[in-house]
Amino acid sequence: MKKVNVLKPVLVSNQQRAKENRRFFDKIHSLVINIIASPGAGKTSFIKKIVEHFKNRYSILVIEGDIKGQIDSQAISMLNVDVIQINTATECHLDAFMTAQVIPQIEKEYDLVLVENVGNLVCPAEFEIGEDYKLAILSTPEGDDKPIKYPLVFHLAKVVVINKTDLIPHLDFNIPQAKKRIKMENPGSMIYEVSAKTGSGFEALYEHIEKEINAKQEDKD
Amino acid sequence: MHEYSVTKSLVELCNQEADKNNLRTISTIHLKVGRFTGFSANSIEFYFARLKADTKCSNAKIVFEEIPIKIACQACGEENEIDEPILLCPDCGSDRIDLLTGREFFVASIEGEE
Repeated sequence: MKKVNVLKPVLVSNQQRAKENRRFFDKIHSLVINIIASPGAGKTSFIKKIVEHFKNRYSILVIEGDIKGQIDSQAISMLNVDVIQINTATECHLDAFMTAQVIPQIEKEYDLVLVENVGNLVCPAEFEIGEDYKLAILSTPEGDDKPIKYPLVFHLAKVVVINKTDLIPHLDFNIPQAKKRIKMENPGSMIYEVSAKTGSGFEALYEHIEKEINAKQEDKD
Repeated sequence: MHEYSVTKSLVELCNQEADKNNLRTISTIHLKVGRFTGFSANSIEFYFARLKADTKCSNAKIVFEEIPIKIACQACGEENEIDEPILLCPDCGSDRIDLLTGREFFVASIEGEE
């Protein structure tokens, strides 16, 4: 009997691949945001708002992760930006290898790469894909208890967007409570309250993203 | 459900380490899992039973060691072990917290025959 000390993370190969992806995106000066939320939280509508706002000033790529189908990528391509669809088939999340597989399709430099992960608050949190940061969307019909039930994603997300604020009059969602619970998982997280339907609350978020895009562009010079 | 791909990575990693260290077969995998991860031991066992076939792990068992969530408070300096991942100091209530342990997910060692 022989004992071998390994001391390696189980996801070591995914982490290495994510680092390589990150190097690729850094080389083309792309700000990469990994967008994670439940099914129906409004990821695609959120992405559409960001795309519509920035598409005339910045080059944008959207990577759509779905178990099946092209419905989201078709909706995004109507906005005349480049879209790549990844169908994960049996997998409930995107990982660094799936992302690496589509990198050869990226033939120009993009200022902003928005990655819509598979709708799920659990699995996507554990797999890095080569992003600059994770952005979690919490929609008001889901309830303000989600940060307590799915702590990891809120711990790891640098930005949290509370979406569908227009529905609050019809719901028991308590914004201060939700914010307190998000901060309990990540005191440093930046929280924005928006409605992708009405467009309210997006200005501050646009400003935030624009600053980050510009910071990436400065690396160019 | 993401344990399927995670367990696949686990089997690959253990087989690679066995190859590197001239192990013919693996009998035990010592796996450390932090409490602040999304990995369930039951699901890993479920997939492991299927994915280990025809590999050096085919007769291996996994020994799980859970690592607690430990935090240190930057305000009062206290260290605490907590059951739920709520990053507030149980002593002084501050949110200036360093997460010391709980996010681990790694193979500590493998045992087997040369």
